[in-house]
Amino acid sequence: MLIIQRSKINRILSYFLAYFLMIIMLLPLIWMILSAFKEPGSTVTVVKNLIAPPFTLESFARVLKPDGTAMMWRWTLNSVLVGLVQTAITIILSSWAAYAVSRIPFKGKTFVFALILAGMMVPMESIVVPLFEMIANLGWVNSYNALIWPGMMLPLAFLILKQFIDQLPNELLEAARIDGAGTFRIWWSIVWPLSTSSMAAVSIFIFISSWNNLLWPMLVAQETAMMTLPVGVPTFQSTFATDLAVPMASNVLASLPALIVFLLFQRNIIKGISMTGIK
Amino acid sequence: MKLTKLRSYKTLVAALLFLAPFMILYVWFWIYPIFKGFISSFQSGVFGGEQKFVGLDNYSFMMGDPKFWTSFGNTIYFIIISTPAAVILGLILALLVNMKLKGTTFLRTMYFMPYMLSVSVMGSIWLFILQSRTGLIAEITRSLGMKEISFLGSWEMGWLSILIATIWWTVGFNMILFLAGLQEIPEDIYEASDIDGASGWKKFWYITMPSLKGVTALVVILQSISSFKLFGQTWLITKGGPGTSTTPLVHYIYQIAFRQWDMGYASAVSFVLFLTIAFISLVQFKFLMKD
Repeated sequence: MLIIQRSKINRILSYFLAYFLMIIMLLPLIWMILSAFKEPGSTVTVVKNLIAPPFTLESFARVLKPDGTAMMWRWTLNSVLVGLVQTAITIILSSWAAYAVSRIPFKGKTFVFALILAGMMVPMESIVVPLFEMIANLGWVNSYNALIWPGMMLPLAFLILKQFIDQLPNELLEAARIDGAGTFRIWWSIVWPLSTSSMAAVSIFIFISSWNNLLWPMLVAQETAMMTLPVGVPTFQSTFATDLAVPMASNVLASLPALIVFLLFQRNIIKGISMTGIK
Repeated sequence: MKLTKLRSYKTLVAALLFLAPFMILYVWFWIYPIFKGFISSFQSGVFGGEQKFVGLDNYSFMMGDPKFWTSFGNTIYFIIISTPAAVILGLILALLVNMKLKGTTFLRTMYFMPYMLSVSVMGSIWLFILQSRTGLIAEITRSLGMKEISFLGSWEMGWLSILIATIWWTVGFNMILFLAGLQEIPEDIYEASDIDGASGWKKFWYITMPSLKGVTALVVILQSISSFKLFGQTWLITKGGPGTSTTPLVHYIYQIAFRQWDMGYASAVSFVLFLTIAFISLVQFKFLMKD
């Protein structure tokens, strides 16, 4: 497996490079965290100030102060809610559709499959203009409907789940049919439980992309209370001209949920990415 | 005879029921907007106002619009500078993680960590690092008595800033893809080449690299697509400036549609974006289908 197996020097150099790169990668994060624990308004760009006490939670208190400028709890709740609902709907609907296209014979199947496949080529960014007009005409601006329904990654989820369902042995499904199980029953008791691992991978993927979405929520969430984290945090930060400590505290708070989820499920997340391979 | 007919009727109904919720959402929010956008690209009029049919006017205007060409050129430029960086650094990290060094899992976790930050947090951190006067690097250069580097003040430095931030943020993702590719190379190929006495570099050039051709192509394609979708980084870090020098295509569409409310022209530019990405995706399909 190893390329430079033989020489010890190479191995030492690799260690050096690996940990050196790690420190470089982590420096911005370390800076963010240290700054957040400094007093509001303090100079966080001077290393000496940064690592010397006092450390305080005042900047966090300023971010969480309920004066309506930063609604961190509300934004976090909005982001989590939109992400979870989008993920759940995408997974269930895609699993049904993938099952139908993969296993139920019906006319027009090729057309349906081609239509969904074509959707893989449509980036959300290229349809935000007409989508915004649609949402505005529906009177959905500043509503959860606007945040949730458009932009679900349906084609991607469909494709990955269909690939999985295609591989299920036919005998398994036929046996259930002979036992008298109906189509829904087969999906519920065989297809759904068996595809949990691909669904976990897809779910993580959908959740991350929803969590990260900036352009669309920025367009439809104009009221402070309807914003998601990626929209709200920069809006809040733009009111601070020279103070970096308070904005950094808001960055830390905005990152906590994702970082906790990552540290808990990193194995699944990394497996999910190498499985789906889509950014 | 009757029974099989009944059964085929029942399965048709089942298929419809399973497909309908998906298809309704999909057609409503993915397919219909494409057609709606295509139609409004032949119209003119501000948002909410009356739409007039103007034929190909929007498209011919686009051909002569220097701002369109600037943003299109910027997007291409970003692909050209970001793809090699994404491939080389992603590969280096993957090779390091694949070497079975002590603490490999920890290293992998740390390399990947920035990818979990939301685009806004990532943008904000890099803005604070790079911004003039109050930024981290500005302070460091000042304390060393050096002249301040203006990261956000010129075309080249603006793009360099976007590049550094983007690579820092996403390199862990590319690392995972390369890592998956590395782990698929069977060990015995290396063992066989050991017997033949191949050196480390030889093995890298003649075994590792050719085996990673597919992954590399995937990374290149994904990087191109995500460059065409570039918005958050420029929006948050450079604000598209100075002037329009770091405004990519999506950023420009945003300005036309939601600053000038010229939905017709914005739809035309969006349609060009759609066609470009669709073309790249078709190439991607060919790769994915081969696997």
